[in-house]
Amino acid sequence: MRWTGKTMLVVIVVLVVSGVYLAVNARLARAGRDVLSLEARRTELLRTTSELNAELASRTAPETMMAKAVALGFQPAQGDDVLFLTIDGYVPPSDFVAPRPPAEPDGGQAMLSPAYTETLGDWLMRWFGPSGDSS
Amino acid sequence: MNTEGVTRRRIRFILLIMAGAVAALVLQLVRVQFGPYAPVFAARAEYGAAIVERVVPARGQIYDRNGALLAANGTMFYIEIEVRQLTEKSKKDIPLTLSKLLLLPLEDLYTQVTTDWPALGQYRIRLTRKDAQGSPWPLTVDKTVAEVINGFLADPLAPDLSGLDLVAAPKRVYPAGTIAGHVLGFVNQEGQGFYGVEGYYDEWLSGKPITVHRPFIPLEARLQPNPPSGVNLVLTLDLAVQQMVETVLKDTIESSLAESGQVVVMDPRTGEILAMAAWPVLDPNNYEPWLPDTVEEEEGNPVITPGVAGTYEPGSTFKVLTMAAALDLDRVKPETEFIDNGQIEVGGHIIRNWDGRSWGQQTMVGCLEHSLNVCLAWIAADRLGATDLYAYLSRFGIGQLTGVDLAGEVSGELRTPRDPDWTEPDMGTNSFGQGVSLTPLQLLTAVSALANHGEMVQPHMVRQVVGPQGAYWPQPTVLGRPISRETADKLTEMLAQSLEGETRYAAVHGYRLAGKTGTAQIATEKGYDPKWTVASFVGWGPLPDPRFLVLVRIDKPATAPWGSVIAAPAFQEIAERLVVMMGLPPDTSVAQQTVGG
Repeated sequence: MRWTGKTMLVVIVVLVVSGVYLAVNARLARAGRDVLSLEARRTELLRTTSELNAELASRTAPETMMAKAVALGFQPAQGDDVLFLTIDGYVPPSDFVAPRPPAEPDGGQAMLSPAYTETLGDWLMRWFGPSGDSS
Repeated sequence: MNTEGVTRRRIRFILLIMAGAVAALVLQLVRVQFGPYAPVFAARAEYGAAIVERVVPARGQIYDRNGALLAANGTMFYIEIEVRQLTEKSKKDIPLTLSKLLLLPLEDLYTQVTTDWPALGQYRIRLTRKDAQGSPWPLTVDKTVAEVINGFLADPLAPDLSGLDLVAAPKRVYPAGTIAGHVLGFVNQEGQGFYGVEGYYDEWLSGKPITVHRPFIPLEARLQPNPPSGVNLVLTLDLAVQQMVETVLKDTIESSLAESGQVVVMDPRTGEILAMAAWPVLDPNNYEPWLPDTVEEEEGNPVITPGVAGTYEPGSTFKVLTMAAALDLDRVKPETEFIDNGQIEVGGHIIRNWDGRSWGQQTMVGCLEHSLNVCLAWIAADRLGATDLYAYLSRFGIGQLTGVDLAGEVSGELRTPRDPDWTEPDMGTNSFGQGVSLTPLQLLTAVSALANHGEMVQPHMVRQVVGPQGAYWPQPTVLGRPISRETADKLTEMLAQSLEGETRYAAVHGYRLAGKTGTAQIATEKGYDPKWTVASFVGWGPLPDPRFLVLVRIDKPATAPWGSVIAAPAFQEIAERLVVMMGLPPDTSVAQQTVGG
């Protein structure tokens, strides 16, 4: 009877550990799905941003703006229409610098907690390994 | 006791069965993991767990020097069919709906949808359409049509489109339309850049695609690796100047009933190309007629980017280079006199003036002002000689690539005494721009030495390269100093006097400009064309420190053949607008009024 009780205890412990392990893996998988869907969302938003930029550029294209200006009664300035002034201390606008393209992430490792990245073996080693570092 | 024994035996029996089951499981696990079929199981697990995707980074964007977007990324949708999901109804509804929506032949679509693809080993196909030549092209739709199709897919009362799928893909868009189309080039559906900036910087713009395994059930929470992005480019081009130049060119072509033309505007101090226009225009948003397979194969495809690939005989605009060589070697001075008898013999070949007249006593200024072929042939044959003439033309880069960062540049052709087919009369005709072919940008680069006080700077189109790590500004490259500063300034002054005299069509009130007209015959296989000419003008200003250098080339004008009549007024119109757009005050108004302090 005592032997049977011990066996059942071991089985229960194994089941509990397995349950915990399964729960952690389920959370991990769900987090992974979230990451994937966020990445898809990010891609979609980048695409939308790019499309909106193109649309904005299209609406302010020189031919469009020229047509609007002419419709409003403007005409291209000729040399005689322009009066040049010298303004002391005037600082011309600085040169345009294009936006940087998105940098390549470092695989996302730096952003993730070890809870999502370490294996059970790693966890056990951390707790019971030779260094005894359980912090 | 007896009951206890029975219970114990039963428990042992159950435990035995459980141990047996566990042992069988462990055995199976070992077999799956390490057995002879382990790779097969591993592949199956991999196949079911993830899809392999090729991730293409967003192509870099292209801006003008002031930040106006010239090339951006939009979205297009491929229409794909998942063959196993087709129903009998959708096999009819899909071709019918697409045919009506996209105005495509029903039969072709029906054939594509109803073909027995599984028998050919294909389960997912991409629909195509046929172009004018009958070649199949992937069928793509824009966002608006995609929304309509998605609406049909979601509506149970709409036609049955089961099995149809829209697959998003990047598409290059050019918001300014045809403006600067020849300079930009284009990108095809596969993301490959052709011609102009898109062709030259294709590798930099496109980034590096990578292949990733995308799991259906991720067993770890990590970001998928992103492919290295393409760089963004800022061009030297000024979109406002480009648009103005294209308008002037179009008006000139239409008013002169010409066939085609080009205008290039450059900053002679830095080699920055501010505008490069060509007519007929190229629409990079509708590039199919311009694809290499479609375009009739000509040398260097001159129709694509004529500014760097369209060679021509320059005619009298070339005379400034001959005169520059003679002045630099001190073989003539501006006041050197020449008696023009109306013709001269060089190597047994008689050379006459453009009008057949003899102009009598002339100075070198007069020779340029009246564009006298006889005078320039005399300078080449009598004052320079072949060795010096061709040495200088080589220093000016004639017959060589400029190295501009645009795809498709050609070098033109200049025969020299080293070539077996060179003859002495070539020296006479070359002196006034006949028998030599070059591109508009080559001539502009050579003349930039005159406009930039003797220093020739490499023309370039990209001003700034911006990658994920930061911005890089390419520095101007000096190609050489073919003539001295004194010679350049002296010749510029001679040409300014010439412009104020004969070529007053090109003058701009309040500014001193220098320039030279050109009226060149067009070489054909049977000699020179008796009817058509290339009318051109190259000019720069404002003096004494020029900020712009402009070349106007008009091919086959019908209303008049002369550069002074056709191209010079176009230069004048461009220069009048340039001084305003670039904020260049006239000579007389500098510091007229001071505000602030």
